[in-house]
Amino acid sequence: MRIKNWLEIRIGLDDLIRTQLTEYRVPRNLNITYTFGFVALIAFLIQTATGVLLLFYYIPHSETAFRSVQDLTSKVPYGWLFRQIHVVTSSLMIVMVLLHALSVFFLGGYKKPRELTWISGTFMLLITVTFCLSGYLLPWSQLSYWATTIATTMPTAFPYVGDMLAKLMKGSEQVSGLTLNRFFALHVMLLPFILAIILSLHLFLVRRIGISSPPFGKSAEAEKPWTGYRHESYPNGYPFFPDFVLKETIMTMVFCAAIFFCITFLPTLFLPEEANIPADPYKTPAHIKPEWYLLAPYQMLKIIPNKFLGVSLQLILLLIFISWPFLDTQEEKNILKRPRLLGLFFFSLILWLVFTLWGKYS
Amino acid sequence: MRYPLALLIILMLSSATLGGWKEDFEKAFLTRPWTGVQAPGDVCIECHASDMMKPEIRDIPQKWKTSWHYQNGISCHNCHGGDPKDAANAMSPQRGYAGTPKYTQVPEFCGKCHVGILKNFLESGHGRALKSSGKGPNCVTCHESHNIQKASINIINERLCAKCHSYERVKIMKQALFVTENKMNEIDKGLKELKAEGVFTEEEEKNLFNTQAEFRILFHTEDVSLVRKRTDEFGHKLNQINVKIQKTFEELRFRRNFSGFLMMIFVGMAIGFLLLSRRPKE
Repeated sequence: MRIKNWLEIRIGLDDLIRTQLTEYRVPRNLNITYTFGFVALIAFLIQTATGVLLLFYYIPHSETAFRSVQDLTSKVPYGWLFRQIHVVTSSLMIVMVLLHALSVFFLGGYKKPRELTWISGTFMLLITVTFCLSGYLLPWSQLSYWATTIATTMPTAFPYVGDMLAKLMKGSEQVSGLTLNRFFALHVMLLPFILAIILSLHLFLVRRIGISSPPFGKSAEAEKPWTGYRHESYPNGYPFFPDFVLKETIMTMVFCAAIFFCITFLPTLFLPEEANIPADPYKTPAHIKPEWYLLAPYQMLKIIPNKFLGVSLQLILLLIFISWPFLDTQEEKNILKRPRLLGLFFFSLILWLVFTLWGKYS
Repeated sequence: MRYPLALLIILMLSSATLGGWKEDFEKAFLTRPWTGVQAPGDVCIECHASDMMKPEIRDIPQKWKTSWHYQNGISCHNCHGGDPKDAANAMSPQRGYAGTPKYTQVPEFCGKCHVGILKNFLESGHGRALKSSGKGPNCVTCHESHNIQKASINIINERLCAKCHSYERVKIMKQALFVTENKMNEIDKGLKELKAEGVFTEEEEKNLFNTQAEFRILFHTEDVSLVRKRTDEFGHKLNQINVKIQKTFEELRFRRNFSGFLMMIFVGMAIGFLLLSRRPKE
């Protein structure tokens, strides 16, 4: 109680709780998909916490990295658990960020005035993938070495600058100790810093503009035209705390249960046998493939005979994805009333799934 | 929507046009490992697999690819010397090319790497017969030359041994080897299972490899009493490895149970919070 009073005098704790939690209202028709962003945030926090624990034992050098990870897994008490949580959550985090992006797209949450929120979110998706890509190399196993070789070869498809880009990533002609150092610096220093900035901006925009209401229910406030800045509020909505926070907590628990489900029943899903063989630049494995989230672009590059066209096409698609709020200028938010957009949504989704599966089994 | 589409088409067309410019770049890109095409590496293989070779020589690369040597990264030049990167000088003595050894020199040829076995073999009846008369067996008589398989007790068989002498004596040796060989196979199987479970087994693999090598060196003396005498010693070493493997299996079971327990805790909490959220509001 004394601490509460101490804080009350200094930061106005009661007012903060009232305005930001109990009296902060969200639309009554918010569904479970609105919690995906929060769960993705929790995934980032899990990654930070487990990442710090792994850093206590990891040695970022090509001669010691593999051994240190293996020792961490087999000798450090519960090291296996933290490593498995880190590995599994990295993939599930991408799943959550993707689901969040898809649900925002489906619910028209990117529309005016939330263009900046969408763009910052897409950048966070790219950073998440870069996070996973850079972290993938760090165990310095055959799996990570050759998957990174594939990923760092992709930029060479660009004429003139491609080789330079690839060399900038690798630090040498091949994936080497220099690449490991660069990826390590990216993974533990630069990317967390950039992510923290963009995440802060994203959260600021969400709170500043207000949560976008789903287009499927009635919301008189949302129908007002956006001629100037205003905070979208829902006086008749549910309180953020405890109602919506409870929903978010349930989803977080489900997410954590999913992590431990993978560790219990699918322990080799993300750490197959090749993940326990030290990297050997002279021994190319028979079937080398990037991680699942890069399988679609990888397969696309494989089937397009002109590699430059393949990479350019992917970049263009990415640019379209990022700048979508500026390309879709129609005011109608409800995708169900826009069959062409609905068709495009499912077509893109199915195409991505097909390319991913094709990449996996080809 | 019209402008972005036009921009997309322009960019794609310009990409296609630009892409054709640098054929050498395309070529270089397509030879990268990730495209599935391997960069050429070994001129010995290329040449010996080509049509200009006699069929019996042309088969050598294919036989080698099924061998234990191939699986362990031992290539032509590791045994025969020479330069596998330079077609013109691949078989130059200046580059260390040793060619094919004479029949009686095969043990020394293989013994460059298999040092311990060479010593014991030369002191054995087989080795002495080879050196004195030039008619005794050499390494390839039992192991073959290019499709060398992982050594196992099955190499000792009536079909092979009875070519030169009675199988009765060999049978006694095989019986003496049987228990240790069986244990080694069991451990090998256990290690494979652990590896499939994602466990790093380097230390145990090295221990097994060393024990196997030591045991096989001993076998090449053809001294049954010596093999019997040291069976307990090998059994003890193998038991130590086996204990470690069993402990790792136990550890894996614990890990599975522990993470399953954590999963149940989170499932329970999810249900708890769900019930809490369904509670009627005042």
